[in-house]
Amino acid sequence: MTVQGLVMFVALPLLSIAVFLAFVRLVRGPTLPDRVVALDLIATLMIGIIAVYAIATDEPVLLDLAIVLALISFLGTVAFAHYIEKRG
Amino acid sequence: MLEAVTALLILVGALLMFVAGLGITRMPDLFLRMSATTKVATLGLGTIMLAVIIYFDDLVATSHAIATILFVFLSAPVAAHIIGRAAYFNKVPLWEGTVTDQLRGQYNVGTHQLASVPFPELEQHLPDVAMRRLPVSGASPVAGQTLEQIDLRRKYDVTVLAIRRGDVVIANPAGDAQICGDDELIIMGLPEKLDEIDAAFRRLAEASAEHPTS
Repeated sequence: MTVQGLVMFVALPLLSIAVFLAFVRLVRGPTLPDRVVALDLIATLMIGIIAVYAIATDEPVLLDLAIVLALISFLGTVAFAHYIEKRG
Repeated sequence: MLEAVTALLILVGALLMFVAGLGITRMPDLFLRMSATTKVATLGLGTIMLAVIIYFDDLVATSHAIATILFVFLSAPVAAHIIGRAAYFNKVPLWEGTVTDQLRGQYNVGTHQLASVPFPELEQHLPDVAMRRLPVSGASPVAGQTLEQIDLRRKYDVTVLAIRRGDVVIANPAGDAQICGDDELIIMGLPEKLDEIDAAFRRLAEASAEHPTS
């Protein structure tokens, strides 16, 4: 199996299931920090998806998105944590 | 050969990230879920980025991948720490199988400051009891009253072990000992009661700061 095939038929499905599982946690909670952690995991999984997709399509330009997403998700988590701590 | 290494790294990374997804759904409480997501997902991402470096084999892609790895490896622990901290202060419930909560009674719930236990051996013999410093602000209505009047023993089940006034420590104070502004009470009791009394003192100080005449 080529690397492209592996990404398309193994890596992407695995990562998609992981995103779905994280989404289940995002919906179920039960607490706000649980949801924030789920969002954070979804962002990390998206970075992984972008990276393997860059390999599958042979487009290294997509890696820019991975860095941007990493930055944004970190800022988002910090902001969420700040407000959760203020509220508590 | 390189193709096989790339394939292996992608496979391992995808599996690790899948395990992170399993962890966040299956683990019993927030802190355990965080240990699954933060560690495993970060490792999985690092592995995938290694695959990216080997697959593209050019400077731009390599620098992008290394920058992503470095940033995620630096930011994931920080993000996990602050979320865990915020969750702990929000009293997110721990799993019922939790054996020990070493932060219990060690955090000042009002200021969110961590203080070490003054008597670790006391902690061992009386695991439920904690000691805490309780500052009395100068504006607080508590200042000027005696220990008997504020009656912490009856209201909060808390014992005043000593009053610290500047460099002087009044140990084992009697009921008629008067509290002055800027004193520090050293109190002992259940951690929940200490939190309660801490919050009450803070409210009193804030209320009197807003209405200085009353």
